[in-house]
Formats: sequence, structure tokens, C-alpha cells
Amino acid sequence: MITAVAAGLIGLLALSIPVGVVLFLLGVGVSEFYSAFPLLRGLGQMVWSAMNSATLIAIPLFVLLGEILVRGGVAARTYSALDRWVSWLPGGLVHANIATATMFSATSGSSVATAATVATVAMPQAERLGYDPRLFSGAIAAGGTLGIMIPPSINLIVYGFLTETSIPQLFLAGLVPGLLLAVGFSAVTVLLCLWRPALGGERRSYGGAERLRALVELLPIILLFTAVVGSIYAGIATPTEAAAVGVAAAFLIAGAFGGVDLAMIREALVGTIRITAMIMLVVTGAAFLNFTLAAAGLGNELRAFMTGLGLEPLSTLLVIVAIYIVLGFFIETLSLMVVTIPIMVPIIVELGYDKVWFGILMIVLVEMALITPPVGLNLYVVQGARRSGSLREVMVGCIPYVLVMLVMVAALVAVPDLALVLNGR
Amino acid sequence: MALLATLRRLNRVVALVAGGAVLLCALFILVEIVLRQLGHSLGGSDEISGYVMAGVTTWGFGFALVDRAHVRIDVVRGRLPAPGRVLFDLLALVALSAVAVLVAFRAWPVLARSIANASRANTVLETPLWIPQAIWFGGLVWFAVMGCLLAVVGAGLFLSSQFAEAEAAIGPPHEG
Amino acid sequence: EELSVVGSWSGLPLHKQYEAPYWTETLPDASGGDITVQLTTHDQMGLGLGDVFTLLGQGVYDVGMTVADYAVADAPELEGLDVPLVALTADKAKAMVDAARPMVEDIFHDRFNSEVLAIAPYPPQVVFCNADISGLDDLAGKKIRGSGRMTTKFLEALGAEGINVSFSEVPGALQRGVIDCAVTGAGSGYSAGWWEVSTHLLPIPLGGWDSVVTAMNLDKWNSLSSETQSLIKDTIKADFEDPAWASAQGALDNDIACLTGDGECASGEARSMTLVEATPEDMAKAREILESEVLPAWAERAGAEWATRWNDTVGKTVGVTVPVN
Ligand code: NA
Ligand code: NA
Repeated sequence: MITAVAAGLIGLLALSIPVGVVLFLLGVGVSEFYSAFPLLRGLGQMVWSAMNSATLIAIPLFVLLGEILVRGGVAARTYSALDRWVSWLPGGLVHANIATATMFSATSGSSVATAATVATVAMPQAERLGYDPRLFSGAIAAGGTLGIMIPPSINLIVYGFLTETSIPQLFLAGLVPGLLLAVGFSAVTVLLCLWRPALGGERRSYGGAERLRALVELLPIILLFTAVVGSIYAGIATPTEAAAVGVAAAFLIAGAFGGVDLAMIREALVGTIRITAMIMLVVTGAAFLNFTLAAAGLGNELRAFMTGLGLEPLSTLLVIVAIYIVLGFFIETLSLMVVTIPIMVPIIVELGYDKVWFGILMIVLVEMALITPPVGLNLYVVQGARRSGSLREVMVGCIPYVLVMLVMVAALVAVPDLALVLNGR
Repeated sequence: MALLATLRRLNRVVALVAGGAVLLCALFILVEIVLRQLGHSLGGSDEISGYVMAGVTTWGFGFALVDRAHVRIDVVRGRLPAPGRVLFDLLALVALSAVAVLVAFRAWPVLARSIANASRANTVLETPLWIPQAIWFGGLVWFAVMGCLLAVVGAGLFLSSQFAEAEAAIGPPHEG
Repeated sequence: EELSVVGSWSGLPLHKQYEAPYWTETLPDASGGDITVQLTTHDQMGLGLGDVFTLLGQGVYDVGMTVADYAVADAPELEGLDVPLVALTADKAKAMVDAARPMVEDIFHDRFNSEVLAIAPYPPQVVFCNADISGLDDLAGKKIRGSGRMTTKFLEALGAEGINVSFSEVPGALQRGVIDCAVTGAGSGYSAGWWEVSTHLLPIPLGGWDSVVTAMNLDKWNSLSSETQSLIKDTIKADFEDPAWASAQGALDNDIACLTGDGECASGEARSMTLVEATPEDMAKAREILESEVLPAWAERAGAEWATRWNDTVGKTVGVTVPVN
């Protein structure tokens, strides 16, 4: 069944049928050919449940926040200011993308929302300053994935819930690997741009006085960051509610810079709906496909496969990692987690590995799934925000960052303390 | 084409209304946060958020379709000559319309059941579920209708060999 | 005969210890291989909590299991299965469920086109507070996350504020004071680390016992031979329902010991939450609120007929009466 679904997926995608539609079609196929039960009868209920979700409202809210910053002119100021500070590094503003994504990750529990925010803020700068569109957009897609590694994280909450693992411990465990990944992304950017300077756009150097003046221009984004993170950590708002706080703060900040008028608000709202609908068609299709796969026994197939292997612990772990990488190409991330966790985690625990540690390892793999084609939500979000060039460019731009994630996986396997050190183990 | 221009205008209004709903939802959450600080609570902001999300999503589908925003992978398509590209676009649109019609068709029983049972949410608000579900269902029907109308527009342009116009109407997102 | 079975939360002990072994081993063995089972869970399928029985009734799968309270949107009368604070021990909860069983069977026939096979307990839904409390009265004025309409209404009648926080955001919200208290099963709270973000434990079933109903699509049920029907009913009682109930009180005691460090903890390291005892006055007040505010509101939602039936069965068992006019 897995093979047939994968083949069908590639074939239908190659016909350039919209990704969300392909996922629905595959769900129908699984229901018709691999299940004895009338799963299609559940289609309507399934779609209603997938969409009627209070957690998902964070997506349009964070997208709207980004739209306001861009259309209110705050983004342009922020970027020119960050340019003063980071453009001496090979790669210039690409580092600003990664830094901004890291910052937003500490406010957002969702990778898609993080990528959407940074993409809307950063994308207009790429062409203006002459960056290579592949690397520039790849850095945003990859940086956005940090949203589920650096706490808060919807995916870690789901993992904790399904495996009965302490969510506070998981959050603490995600911090070091998350920051390391951010540093790794920057490092690989520097290396690439040293090797091919043309990738990094025009390098400029600025005087100290100019840099200090630029700090003032960073004030709006810092205020916004403070409002969002502050409202979470002061106990005023939950992470989802903080998105609404961010929207309000973004309006105030953009207003203070004189960039709010009715036409701008209209464009921001329309843009928000465009990106939200695009994401949700994929999310809903993925939810339906997952429903049919689970009902048709994907869980049993995986379990039989794993027990059939009969390997020793490290090899089993590596097989599991490989399975996640392969499934990650095709399956949307939350579905991937809920389908596999009940099968994989008991195996992992039996082998003597730590549940908190494996949760972090899984998040790295899931982050990878977000930026690997053909099904990679962050790829689509970034492409949706830039509205020019092809999706292929974003995919190519992600390759170096996928390699960093693979290194991170290896590092976590070799040095489990990376995830466990803050929990005092 | 007049029809296409009309669809674009209508869907822009739809998107504005949906965006307004998101904005109102943000406002509602803010009021909830402020009241909570003052020791009161409206309650139900997460429930309302879910309904807003469902309605905004389905109505947004149609807008995103007319606006050519749904993600497509153009690895093969991009290498074809113009007539071939438009054929791919038409195929994609037919597949999309079929799925949209199927989903809308299967969504009706959900709404019908809520009406028949007079279902109310298991919350303090006791929202009659038919209200948010009717908005949600309407969006799905709208999406299906948009898909079918666009397919007609695209087929017309293809048959009259207006390939550039066809790509501008039903091609992938803002390609070249 | 192949049965497609959708289980309750895959991560919780009820599924792992009782549901999964029963459907994948006990029943197929007992049938001598005539019955095979395809088992998944509603969370793995990504089903909404309220969808499990709806889809079961439509025949999307053969057997479904989930908390009855999740399905009350379609059947408000089902709320009466799970009234907060009337059953303090597992024995009492069992008696309450037994008394309610004929009602539940009728509801499932009519509303969900399905046959009830078993009703098993989730651990009682107790109160975790990140605030200094010494009894039920201290919940007044607190911001509390409850789930379900009846619990939230009870909290409001108590003078507490019912706050809507999605389940996934509860630990963070507790830690940072967005909410003062939250309600969940003691075992889940222990293993999910809620003891790290809260200080006081009030181990009374404020959220009820969260009864999990196992039901089979009625058309499927009627298509089975009477031998197969009785095989399923007999084995599910002996090998699933009874053991699950038998371990319920012990599990609760163990979980409380693990959370408070007061007693023997078999699940791992014991923690040191402060145990808050509910006094008889507390319970009397709770009963008063139920009879004067919460249950009358339910009677209005469900209809007088169901309220009367409830009084004659569940009400008699637990000594509570819904005023019916
Ligand atoms: Na985050
Ligand atoms: Na992927």
C-alpha cells in the first residue's frame, strides 16, 4: 500500500494537479482499493473536524501580522537596519532571515506560521538587494521549521500528549538543538557564500555610527517581539492568543510609522486569506489521506515491517530515522507524527532510548519533512509569499539546510546530551 | 473575458469578508485577554476561533483558486509547449473540480444531521452547530462552483487557441 | 468475519492495557480464528472527538470507542452518564454507570445507530492547581480550565471562571498563570508532567469519570449470528470491562500517591504536590449546586422525559434528584 500511494503521489503531482487535490484523490484511492469499509462516508465529517480548529487560527493571525509589517513599511526598515549589521558576513541578509525566524520561533508554536511571517517580511528584500532567490528563500523555509523546535511547539505538545512525556521537559530539551540548528544554518550559509560569493548578494560595510543609528530602526520589531513573547511569558495569553496580541501590536507599530490606511488593511486581509486557503487545502487533504491510511492499516504494515527486521538497537534506530526521512517526503507533519508515534515510540523505549530525547530527534526529522518535496508545507508557504519564480527554486535552496538537519540528527544520536543537558541528565 | 473578470471581482469581496472575520476574531481574542485580566471572561474564544477558521478556509478556497494561489508542481508542465501546458492546466482544474464537488456532496450530511438533531456544541456557548456548518458548507459549494466555471472558461480559451489568456486564467501561481 | 475497530486515545492505559489486547488477541483467539480485527485509534485517524460515534452510525467502521461526553453535541441526554462529583469512588462510579446503562443503550440505538458493547472508565478527572487552595470553596474566583459543558457550568456556579484553553496549551498556561487550575485524569497529569507546573491536587472527580463507551454499528451487529453476538458480549465483559473497572480504584490511589508522594507509587518517581482533601461540607455544597443549577439546566437541554428517567435510575443510585417540572 505504501508503495502504491507513493507512486500515485508522484504521478499525480507530475501532472501538476494541485497538491491538496492530489492528497484528496489518494485518500479516495486508498479508501476504494485498500479498505473494505466505506470511508468516503466519513469525508464530510473529517473535513469539518480538520478545519474547525482553534489551534489553526494562529496561521491566519501570524500571516496577517506579517502582511501588516510588510505593507506598513516596518519590514523594509527592519531589513535595511539588519543589513547594516549582518551584511559583513558572507551571505548578508540570509543571516537576518535565519535570525528573524529564530526569534519568531520563540513566539510561535507552528513552523508554517513562522515561515509565513518571515517570508512575507523578508521576501520583498531579496530581489531589491540582489540575492540569489534560491538560497534566500531556502533559508526562510528552513529557518521557519525552527518554529516547532524552539518552544513553544504544537508538535512537541502532540508528542508529549501521545507518549505521556513531560511537555515542560520536552520544551526545555528543544532549546539547545533549536539554537544549534539556527547556528548551523548560518554556518552553512557562510560556507556556501565563501565558495560562491554571487549567492549572497552585494556585500556592503557600514560605519559604527551608521550601525548605531540603524538600531533605532530595529525598535519596532523588538517591540513586537516583546509584545508577543512578553504576553506569553507574563501569563497574559496562551501561544495561540499571543498571535492576536501580535496582530494588534503590529497595527500599532505600523500606525506609529505612518503606514496604516484603509487600502493597506484591505490588501493585508486579502493576502492573508490567499496564503491561509492555500495552506489549508494541503492540510485538509493530508488529514483525509491520513484518515484513510490509518483505517486501511498503515500502522499494522509499519509494525510488521519493524518486527520483521529483528535488528540490534542502533541499527533499528537508524532504520526508524530512514523511515521518517522517506515518509517525510510525502506525508504532512502532524499526520506523520500521529500515525507513527504509537508504533515507533514503544519500540524506541524497549530498546532503552530516552523518550524526551527521541521526541527531539523526531522533531528534527519532522522539520526536514517540512522542506522536502513533494509535500513540504514550508516550501509552499515561502513560494506563496514570493509570487514569482518557481517552486523548484525554493526546493533547491533548501538542500544545504536539509544537510544541516541530517548532521543534527547524527549529532543527536552521537551525543544525546544535546537534548537532555538542560533537563539535568 | 467578462465572466472571468466578474469571478475575480466577486472573490475579492469574499476574501475581504473572510479577512474581516479573521480580524474580528483577533479582536474577540484581545477582548477576552483584557477581560480576563480584569477578572471576567467572555468564554468561548477558542470555540469561535474554530468556527471562523472553518468558514474562512472554505470560502478562501474559491478565492485562492481564481487567484491561482493553490500549490502545483510544474516540473513536467513547465517543459511543454503552450497548448500542452494549457491541457495540463485543464486537467488539474477538472481534478480539482471533481474533488471539490465530492467534498461538498459529502459535507451536506454533516450539516443536515446537525439540523435534524438540533445539535449544539458541548460548550457553555451551546452554539447551534448548523450556523457555523452552514457557512462552512456554503464555502465548499462556492469552491466547487468556481472550479466548474473556471474549467468552462479555460476550455473555451483552449478551444479558441488563446493559450496565453488561458494560462493567465488557470495557470499555476504567477509563473513567468 | 473481519471487524474494523477504532479505539480510544492510543497513549492512555485503557487502550494499551485493555482495549488493544482484547481486540487483537482475546477476541480473535476466543472465536477460534473466525473473527479478525483491524485496530486503529481515533487519534491516529485524526478524527475529531465528536465524530467517532457519528461515523460509527454511518457504518464507516464496525466498532468505535470513545468518551461518551465527547458525543453530547448530538445527544445532550448523554450528559447524564457523567455528572461531576456524584461518584467519589470507582465502586460508586460503576454503580452509576450500571444504573445508566439501559439509558445509554437506548441513546446509542436512536442517535448513533449502534449497539453498546461495554462501558469502561477513564480515571476520574481531578483538579490540578498552581495556586494555594484548601478546599472546593477556594476555587471561587480562580481561573479554571474545565472541559465539557456540565463541568464548566458547575465551575461557574461555584464562582470560578471557566477559561477556554485548548488541552495542548494547558501546561504552559498553568505555569505562567493564564489559568490557576485545570482538570484532567490523575495518571495523565502525572505522566505528562503537570506536577511541574502545579502545586495543589484536589483529587475529586470534578470532571466526572469520563466513561468510555464501546459500541458496534447496529447493521453490523444485526448481521452477526446470535452465537457470535453472545461470544462478543461475554468476552468483552469478562476480559475488557470488568478488569478495567477492577483496576480503576487502585490506579487512582497509585496516581495520587505518585503525585503527592503520600503512599506507594508504582509508576515511577513520586512527586510532592500538596494533597487537598474535600470536606463533607464541600461535598454537600457541590450537591446543592448540582441540584439547584447544573442539573436543572441539563434537564432543560435533554428534556423532562430523560430527567425523570435519570432520577429513577442514576439519581436513585447516587442520591441526587433533578427537579423536573
Ligand atoms: Na516555537
Ligand atoms: Na516533505
